[in-house]
Amino acid sequence: MIRTARHISLWAVLAFSLAAFVYSAALVYGIHQDNNLIRQLISGKDVVINKVISGEPELRLARAFYFKQKHRYDEALSTLSLIIDKGDKKFQAKARYNLGNLYLEQAMQQIKATNMHEALPLAGLAKQAYRQALALDSSNWDAKYNLEVAMRLLPEMDRINMPDDDSSVNQKSQLWTTVPGFPRGLP
Amino acid sequence: MKTVLILVLSLIGCSGSIDEPVSYFNVETPRPFGYVNGDEISQRIIIETRSGITLQTGSLPAKGPINRWLNLNQITVKQSGQRYQIDLRYQVFYAPLEVKVLTLPGFTVQLSQGEKSVGKSIPAWSFTLSPLRELVVRQTEQGEYLRPDSPPSIFANDRALYGLAASLSVAALITAYLGYLYACFPGMSRRTVFKRALRKLSGLSKADMELALTIIHHGINRLNGQPLFYKQLEDFYLRNPQYRQISAELAWFFNYSNRYFFAVGMIVVAQDLQQLKDLCERCRRIERGSQ
Repeated sequence: MIRTARHISLWAVLAFSLAAFVYSAALVYGIHQDNNLIRQLISGKDVVINKVISGEPELRLARAFYFKQKHRYDEALSTLSLIIDKGDKKFQAKARYNLGNLYLEQAMQQIKATNMHEALPLAGLAKQAYRQALALDSSNWDAKYNLEVAMRLLPEMDRINMPDDDSSVNQKSQLWTTVPGFPRGLP
Repeated sequence: MKTVLILVLSLIGCSGSIDEPVSYFNVETPRPFGYVNGDEISQRIIIETRSGITLQTGSLPAKGPINRWLNLNQITVKQSGQRYQIDLRYQVFYAPLEVKVLTLPGFTVQLSQGEKSVGKSIPAWSFTLSPLRELVVRQTEQGEYLRPDSPPSIFANDRALYGLAASLSVAALITAYLGYLYACFPGMSRRTVFKRALRKLSGLSKADMELALTIIHHGINRLNGQPLFYKQLEDFYLRNPQYRQISAELAWFFNYSNRYFFAVGMIVVAQDLQQLKDLCERCRRIERGSQ
């Protein structure tokens, strides 16, 4: 009786381990396929959209990365907006950082074309995206750097007044801080 | 003299040092320098109150933006008895052109005893914030220098591979063990003795009783490693205790074999052959380990 039970349990464990093997093999294959798609998108080659839609959010992030490389900003924006609240905090921070880059790059292009009215809201959106990315992951140095770029591009309106600040200097600073753009050289 | 004494005692009574609501107060702050745009700054406030005095958590600053450049990301209060530990985590969003002194604003916490309430002010704390980039922007072919997009991460397949290896190992081990139990490996002929004997017996009739008995004798001899006789059965059971459960059947077999080969006028019936086949079947189950 005990031997029969032992045989049954051995067969059951064998069946379970074979099922686990098939499941793990399918998982490894799926990961391999997804990684291939991501590598393809990063290298600048488009993939079939169905594979991206049915896949993980990382695939959409990769597709937005691809669109941005090709300067297809609207498609990159719509792709990123679908995954902005997906995944863990690290992933959300990454998606928001890339969103900030998307806005900032467009803002810079508008400034180059002297379309200030177009550039201002884009720079504001970029700052907002970077702030959100840093609130989720304050160790993201790239977001810190690019936020500083965006803040220099569109400085905050209210300056911090310290007791030792000279009022005349303050007045001068306020004048140029309202104009978006970077200082091109030292006086 | 009396007047002076009353005055001194009155002053001591009004000093309030005995009725101070806070017995211990400390603000633990990190280094006051070396911060950059986007950094988080933690501050810990320890307040120990006199018994009966409680901290009004509603008087603490709320999570969210404090001003345009400062956010309060997290505030937690831990209470153990009369000791309050307030942990604040600020985040700075300011892009200075040069190293700049900024100040975390102070606030007042309310301590209450019954209907009375008294405020304890938390002092402001100053620190310096440094720029991350030069004043004159660095130019690249694309324009102003920017940090590039963060590429999507490649999925890690370590866990799936571990699962694959583990399940494969378990399956292989169990298969090998079952193969051993079912004698599927070459060189395990001792475990297939009765399997082969059973196969040979299957086509025999009662007319082939001599052959049938020989087949089973050969099988038992092979299992024993040498010819086995009735009197040696006890030794055989000691070496192969699993066969003791069919001792009655084995005893019948040896008796029947003796009578068949050495007695005169033995009449064979079909039932005898069936009993031999049953015995062989039971031996097979024992050698397979399923009985």
